[in-house]
This record gives sequence, structure tokens and C-alpha cells, in this order.
Amino acid sequence: MTSHVKGQDQMRQRTRWGTRLVPALLAVAGLLAAAACGGTTDDEKPVAATGAATPNADKPVTISFLSYNYGTPGIGGKGTQSLLDAFHKAHPNITVKPQGVAVADVLTRLRTDTAAGSPPDVAQIGWSKMAEAVRTLPIVPVQKAAPADEWSTHVAGLSPSIMKAVTQDGVVAAMPYTMSIPVMYINADLFKAAGLDPANPPKTLDDVRAAGLAIKKATGKEGAYVAVVDSGKSDYLTQSVIASAGGSLVGSDGSVTLDQKPAVDALTAVAGLTSSGAMPKVDTTAAVASFTKGEMGMLVGSTALLVSAQQAAEGHFTLTTAPFPQVKAGTPARPTYSGAGLAILAKDPDRQRAAWEFIKFITSDAGFEIITSQIGYLPLRQTIETKLADTPTVKLLKPALDQLATVTPYTSFPSDHANEAVVTLQDDAVEPIVLRGADPAGTLSSVADKIRKLVG
Amino acid sequence: MPPADRTAPAVTAADGASSGALATAIPLRRQPMPTRSMTENPTGGAAAVRGPAARRDRRWWRAARTAGRHGVLVAVVLAMLFPTLWALNTSFKPTSDVYDSSPLPIPATLANYRAAIDAFPIWQLLLNSFVTAAGVTVLHLLAGVLAGWSFVRYAHRGQRVVSALVLVALVVPPQALIIPDFLLVARLGWRDTFVGLIVPQLSTCSLAVLLLRQHILTVPATLLGAATLDGATDGEILRHVVLPLLRPALGAVAIVVFITTWNEFLWPALVAPSPEHTTVQMGLQLFQNQEGPEYGPLLAGAMLATIPIALIYALASRRITDAFLHSGLR
Amino acid sequence: MTTSEAGAQPALPRGRADRPAPRGHALAGKRADEPPAPGPLAASTRRAGGWRGAATPWLFQAPVLVSLAVWVYGPLVFTGVLSLLDWDLISPHPEFVGLTNYRQLVEDPEFGNAVLRTGLYVLALLPFATVVPMALAIMLWKRPGRASGIYRSLLFVPVMLAPVANALSWRFVLDPLGGIVNEVFGGLGLPQRDWLGDPSFALPAITLITAAKFVAMHLLLYGAALAAVDRRSLDAARVDGATEWEITRHLVVPQLARTTALLAFLCAVFAGQWTFTNIVVLTDGGPDGTTDNVYFRLFQYAFTFFDAGTGAAAAMMIVAGLALAFAVVSLPRRRRATG
Repeated sequence: MTSHVKGQDQMRQRTRWGTRLVPALLAVAGLLAAAACGGTTDDEKPVAATGAATPNADKPVTISFLSYNYGTPGIGGKGTQSLLDAFHKAHPNITVKPQGVAVADVLTRLRTDTAAGSPPDVAQIGWSKMAEAVRTLPIVPVQKAAPADEWSTHVAGLSPSIMKAVTQDGVVAAMPYTMSIPVMYINADLFKAAGLDPANPPKTLDDVRAAGLAIKKATGKEGAYVAVVDSGKSDYLTQSVIASAGGSLVGSDGSVTLDQKPAVDALTAVAGLTSSGAMPKVDTTAAVASFTKGEMGMLVGSTALLVSAQQAAEGHFTLTTAPFPQVKAGTPARPTYSGAGLAILAKDPDRQRAAWEFIKFITSDAGFEIITSQIGYLPLRQTIETKLADTPTVKLLKPALDQLATVTPYTSFPSDHANEAVVTLQDDAVEPIVLRGADPAGTLSSVADKIRKLVG
Repeated sequence: MPPADRTAPAVTAADGASSGALATAIPLRRQPMPTRSMTENPTGGAAAVRGPAARRDRRWWRAARTAGRHGVLVAVVLAMLFPTLWALNTSFKPTSDVYDSSPLPIPATLANYRAAIDAFPIWQLLLNSFVTAAGVTVLHLLAGVLAGWSFVRYAHRGQRVVSALVLVALVVPPQALIIPDFLLVARLGWRDTFVGLIVPQLSTCSLAVLLLRQHILTVPATLLGAATLDGATDGEILRHVVLPLLRPALGAVAIVVFITTWNEFLWPALVAPSPEHTTVQMGLQLFQNQEGPEYGPLLAGAMLATIPIALIYALASRRITDAFLHSGLR
Repeated sequence: MTTSEAGAQPALPRGRADRPAPRGHALAGKRADEPPAPGPLAASTRRAGGWRGAATPWLFQAPVLVSLAVWVYGPLVFTGVLSLLDWDLISPHPEFVGLTNYRQLVEDPEFGNAVLRTGLYVLALLPFATVVPMALAIMLWKRPGRASGIYRSLLFVPVMLAPVANALSWRFVLDPLGGIVNEVFGGLGLPQRDWLGDPSFALPAITLITAAKFVAMHLLLYGAALAAVDRRSLDAARVDGATEWEITRHLVVPQLARTTALLAFLCAVFAGQWTFTNIVVLTDGGPDGTTDNVYFRLFQYAFTFFDAGTGAAAAMMIVAGLALAFAVVSLPRRRRATG
């Protein structure tokens, strides 16, 4: 408890410094007197140092929730609205004011809002940006915002492998929320047309190549696609294939290991798909479009796409799924996850408490029922997986859920330049190797050097 | 170079027009003719003195040229319209056909439009966009006319510096201004207000200043001189002499500024993200989501968002007709 | 204006040669061709007299000056300070690093590549910002009427559609797996490509996609400039027997010289900014950095990598670079004007 309060004080100190510097610089810039003087902002008000343990539970509280699903016209927006409605019904004295944001702008919004002294109280943050967010933003680890007993009861029902994967230095900073892992989508009709059995899908990347070529030959359509060239520059699938080959981007000591043999093998295997013609040389956007049109046999991609793939397939082709393929025959596949977690940025104890109540609710059984059935993200609670087991969505998620046990933590480069390193990896190594036939070993080695310089 | 020689006097005269000599000289020399008949008979003067064969030849040549002209224009129009037509086409396609290459949306569906309208308060967003864009346009025109006029009208010591400041402001990348401007707006307490949305967008007013100054320069100096000698004050000259002549320029600049503001999205997304104030562009961004981007509704929403622009264009472009028709110069 | 007029000069020797005197050469330059005697300036200042006369121009310019000071130059100074720091805008300890950010940028081959690509965009878009819209505008202006009105409106349509939607529809059209362009190419027996994913085709593709916006916008601005041209002068030339080409070449085009110069200047400024949206939606600067430009780079530093110092340094270099370029272009002209 004491350490918690101390941490909070430091946090306040930090943000106050930050917000003072901004107007100071603006003053240097010779701006309006009004801007230079500034006003008293929220964070400068004395905050009762009571901590999260003694909240006033009955007082009505309003908290803000920044979500890239909220307000979107598709399933994500509707599902988020259902979650909010259910929460408001269960907790009438906590009002959650949602704020929509384009998925690409989440971190920009969080940073500018923080610099301006008014971050949202709860934010949905993608895992690929989480390390950076935790490092730079005044995030209160969700595990510390929760009373200890409530925390242990709450996480007891959550997937232990996911909870283990998102624990960093013994603390869970953000609550797993809309989670997905890669899975293999299959167009069963094209499989049958090529004389293949969709019930017996390819198990390794070599099998994928053979099946892809067979589909291409028999139907004239595209064979397979492994979505490592992610359009949003995320590297979760790159990490998944490398981890499945027994490697990693970053070693346990923080060193860059993406030029070691497992990584080279993994990208060589994926590049083998394109060079053989089993996989088209296009980016993920085009490949997903092709698959949803029914023009492609297999797509290895995120489960986040499941519901929209189901909708596209309906009446056009039979959609089935299979586990993420092994990169090396005999070595079990170890995909990593993508999606988002919920982080608390509230400073005031009452709002922290309310933020925890909100997070607790939307990641409870009731919450995950909505998340899975309406948006198609993984049911992280066994109870919900069992309860919804007969729904088409969970049936299709089954291969992915079975692989959750061997999920690999998403790794971030330990540096202020982590995002730049990821973009460098995707742009300078993965894309040229997979789409344009660049030499895997040589390219990875030079890109690894570049990234070492960047993060070192 | 005989042809050049023949037109040489005209060139000199026309060149003078921009500096003010011709505008007053021409009406003395020639009765103004209705524009229409003049253009429909462009070579009439020359053809009249030739024989009938030559005339027939000329007529054929003219028809061919008209056909060629329309051919070129139609080709350019098609090339320019292609993406818009494709977006229109796609906005009527069901989700599964969005990437389809069929040039017509068969089967067609209104589902995307329904989705776009249901997704968020699109009419409110359109209204917000309109208020923002109109506000910014008015401020730009006001600032532009005043500054443009003063640049042309008065010389003063700091002028070089001022003009350089206006020019350099144009080359400052907007991406670099967003964060400091945002922090300033936050300090001023202008977040989630129309003031916060509109006023900082004066940062791009250099364009209006430059364009309007350009047009004020074409106002014949003799006209200004005459008005001054008649005892008109500078304000009166601006209102009664310059502004009527600026009609086309004001129309064009208004359209440019309005559209640029209308299409801005990063600024509204940061400054005023709430549905009460944010713009339709911010709404369109939300269609590019993680769970399968909603391209059909996005394009449908974009189509709806062009309607107000088309109206503004229709209104403002009517002003872009011959300036002389609206001035006292005829 | 100096700047841009000089650029247009070589193309328009004729109109220039006939000019009696150089025009005002700074943006706020005096009108050198004004009647010298009781000029409007002299008259007005005399009448207003004293400090009021001296203050008048400042009053007129105040809205612009205040706006730019608050929303452009203040932030620019802020950016300048930021460029000397290693700071993420949030952390409590901004670190002063001197010119390190600049040095890193200069040494970064990717930034050099982005500068080069920006230059390519400007050059490739220049005709679409000047010659093409000018030709179209004159064509339409010479034959006013309903048909021209319709053409004019249709040609403006590309900028009415939201830039994101415009870029997206190109993605559908150019889709490597079954987009209409590849279908047509396949049908004609021509090679099908991943147009936006092929290092040798991506930059031309982005250029052409952006070109439509320049043609549409500048057509409008040329139209406004032509509206100030007196048609009666053309008629005089026609009576004198000039051909349409001669009239266009020697009568109309010279009167558009200033506008052309301004629009060429705007092209240099906006080529990078208008390709930006298309780059973000379609290529993210790829493949292999071939569609990169400095504005996209700056955006990456500031909004993707959250490296505020480097982003600020890039911004300062863009401003300095463009300002310097325009100063150099305008210098010869200034010398001629004064000497």
C-alpha cells in the first residue's frame, strides 16, 4: 500500500513537471500572455493521499474511457456499446464517458492529452504499443489499482497463460481485454475442389505450401497467405513465426536476436511460400480482401478478423479454421497474441476505484460473453468458452483457444525507439524478404545491426 | 516571325491590361460586344474576307477542332472522375464485393448508406464540419482581403519582413504545428469548442493572403488613382472598387479554403473528439477499424460528406465569372 | 512573389520583354508600374497624416500577423527549442542534446532519401500544377457557356471527395489481386502488377493520384485569374487576324504569368503535403522507401516513433530548406530589379 501511494506521488510529480515545462516553453516562444501564465490544472489540486483502498463507493463518479472500438460502425462499436450499457445497468453511480479514437491515433491522443494534463481515466491500448505506453504515460498498473483480494478473485477465472504472458516484473500493467492470436482460416470449398480434406488441414508451413500449390493448380485461385507483412506495421505475426521456429526478436537479456538462426529459418520458410508461388506477393490488406472474396485457399491471420470473415463467407463459401501451423515440423507452434488491454490513467482515487470497477466488470464473465459473442475476440474465461462452445464463432475460435496454452508473450524492444525498431523490422526486413525475394540471412543481419544501433 | 509581328500591338496592349493601361483604353476604342456571339464566331473577322472554298475549309476545320476539344476534355474528365466514380460504385456494393472489379454495383445495396447513417450522428457531424469550415473560410477571407489590400496599397518600412513572414508561414509543415497548437488550445481551455477548432486554423491563412493579393494587384492602378482623386477614402475604395472586382477571386479562395478545412482530420480528432463538435472526417476515420475495415460504409459516408461541398462549390463558383461583368468598368 | 515569378520567366520571354518596368518584387512590393505622379499611396498617407497614416497598414495586417504569431511562429520557436532536446513532451526530464537531432537526420540515409523523393514529387507534379490546368482553364474560358460550366464542375469533383476515400478507391482500383486496372491489363495481354507494392511503379502511381488534386484546384484558381482578363482585348486581336494559338500564346498566357508563378510556388510547397494522405493510406512510404517524403518522415518521427526532438529537427530543416530554396530562386531577380 505504502509503495503504491509513493508511486502515485512520484507520478504526480512527473506530470506536474511535464505540464509546467510545456507552458514554459510556450512562453519562450513568445506566445499569448494567457498561455504563458496558464491556469491551475487538475493535477495541481491537492489530491487526498488516501489511495485506492478507501474510496467513497456511493458517490457518483464519472470516468472517461478512450477506446478505438467505441463509435466504430461495425461489430466493435456495437459490442463496446453493449458493454457500456451492461455496466451502467450494474453500476448506476458510475458513469463512463466513452471517447472514440481512430486505431492509428490511440497513442497520439494519449500523449497529447497527457501533455495537456487531462488523460482519459481508462484507455484501450494495443499490446504492440503497451510497453511504450507503460514506459511514457502515467499508467497506474491495474493490479495495483485493485484491492489485492478482489484482484486474485478476479483473475482466478482468466486464462492463466495469457495472464502469465502479460505479467511484466511481477505486475500486470494492463488488463487483457480484446485479445486475439493468429489462426489459419480455410476456404473449405477450394480445399475440396483441389481434392484436399478441410477436416485434415496442413499442419506445417511445408504442408501449407503443398496445399496452396495444389489449390492454385486445381482452381486457378490463390493458394495461401501468411500475414507477416502487416498493413498496420505490427510485428505480432513476425514474432509468431519466429517464436514457432524457436527464436525471438529480443533475448531474455534484452539483446537483439532477430538475426539468429531460428529467425532466419522462420522468414526463409515464409519466403519459400512466395517464391514457390503458393503465396501471392501482396500485402495483408490485399490478401484479406482476396480471401474474403473466396479467391484464396488459406489465410494465416488474426482472430480479430473472424466475425467479418464469417459475414463475408456467409452464402459464398464454407469457412473453417485450423491451428497456427508449425514453422518447423515437429516443433510446436507458439504464436503470440495481438489485440488490446485496458490501462488506468486516472489519478484521483475515486476515479481509480471506479476505473477498476469498470475494468473488473467488462472483463468478467458477463463482459467476455459480450466481447466474444459480439466482437469475436477470444473468451479469456473458461466459463464463457464452455458456455458459448456451441456458437459458430467459438467453434471457429476453438483451434486458437487450444493454442492459448502455448502462447508466447509479445516482446518489445527495450528502448525509447521500440516503435521505430518495429517499423524498421517490418519495412526493411520482413517485406523485402517475403515479398521481393531478398536474402533472409543477409537482410536480417543488416537490419539487426541497424536496430541494435537504434535501441542500443 | 510575321504572326507574332501582327499581334505585337495587341500583346503590348494586353500586357498593359494587367498593369492597368488597357482596361480604360479599350472601351474608348471599341464598343463592348456581347461575349457569347464573339466566341461563337472566333475567326469571323478573318474568314469574311476569303472565298467560299476557304470558308468551307474553315468550317470543316472548326468542326474538327471543336470535336477534338471535346474529345480532350471528355478524356480528361473521365480520368479525373474515375476514382470518384469508383468510390460511388463501391459505396453501393455489398461488403463481400467491395474489392470486386465489376464496374457496376450488381447487386446494389443501400446497406452501406444505412450503416454510415446509423453508425454515428452523421447529420450532427456534417453540421459540425460545416460550422467549422464556414468559420475558417470567413476568417481567412477577412484576413486575406485586409492584408492583401494593405500589401498592395501601402508601402511601409516593415513590409519586406511582413511579406517574408507570410510566405514562410506557408512552408511550415502542418504536422509540426499540430502538437504545439494543441497544447496552446488546451492551455486556453478551448478544447472541445468550435473556437478551438476554428481559430487555430488561421495558421494556414497565408494562402488566402497570397491569392487575394495576387488578384488585388490586377486591379488597374489608374482606377485606384482616379477614385482617390475623386476623394474616396481607402475604405470606400476597398468596398466599392476593389471588392466587386475581387468577386471571382473571393469565390475561388472560399472554395479552396472551405474544402481544405472540410477535409482536415487530425486537428479535429485531437482538439474536439466529442460527437458534439467533431467533424465528419474524424467519423470516417473510425471506419478503418481493427476487426475488418468497413470500406463500404466509409465510402458511403464520404459520398454523403461531399454533398455540402458540392453545394458550396455550386454557390461560390457562380462568382467566378468575368470580373468585368460586375464592376463599373463596362 | 519574386520567388515564383522568376521561375516562370524563361517560359514567358515575350510578355516579359514588353513590360515597361519591373514589378514590385517583394510580396508587399510597390507597384512599380503605377502612375508616378500623385500615386494613391502618397495621396492617402498625406491625407491621413502622422502616426495614423503610419499605423494604417499595420492595422490592416494585424489579423494576419497576430494569427501567424500565435499559431505558426510561436509554435515554430517551440519546435526550434524542442529540436535541441531529447524529450517526449511528457517525461519530467527533457535532456538538452544540442544539434544531435540534426546531425542524426543529416546522417540518416532514410531522411536523405525522403528529401530526394520530395524533390521528385515536386518536379513530377509541376506540370500538373501549371501547364495542364492552365491549358484546360484557357480552353474552357475561351468558350464560355453551359458545356464549359459542366466540364469545369466535373473537373473539380476529385477534390470534393474526402482524401481518405479518394485514396481508398485507388486501392480498390489498383488492387493487385483482381483490381480493375489489373483486370484490364490482363485482358489486353499486358503485365499485371502490384502497382503500389512495386518499387519502380509506386512513386509514379502516388504522383498521378495526387496530380488530379492539383489539376482540379489549380484549374479553379486559373479560372479566377482569367476572370480578371478582359475578353475584349482578344477580340481586337482577332479582328487583326491573329490565330487562336497566337492569341493564347501571346495574349492570354502572359497575363497568367503571375498566377503561374504563384501556383508553381504552391506546387513546391504542397507537393509534399498533398501526397502525404495518399502515402499514409496507400503505401506508408514503402515499398523500400520509394514513396517516402519529408512530411511523411516528419509524421513518422512525431506521431509513430514519438521522437519529438527528431520530428522537430526535421520540421526546422524543412522550413529552412524551403525558405532557402525560395530565397535563392528569388535572388537573381531581386538583383535585376534593383540594379
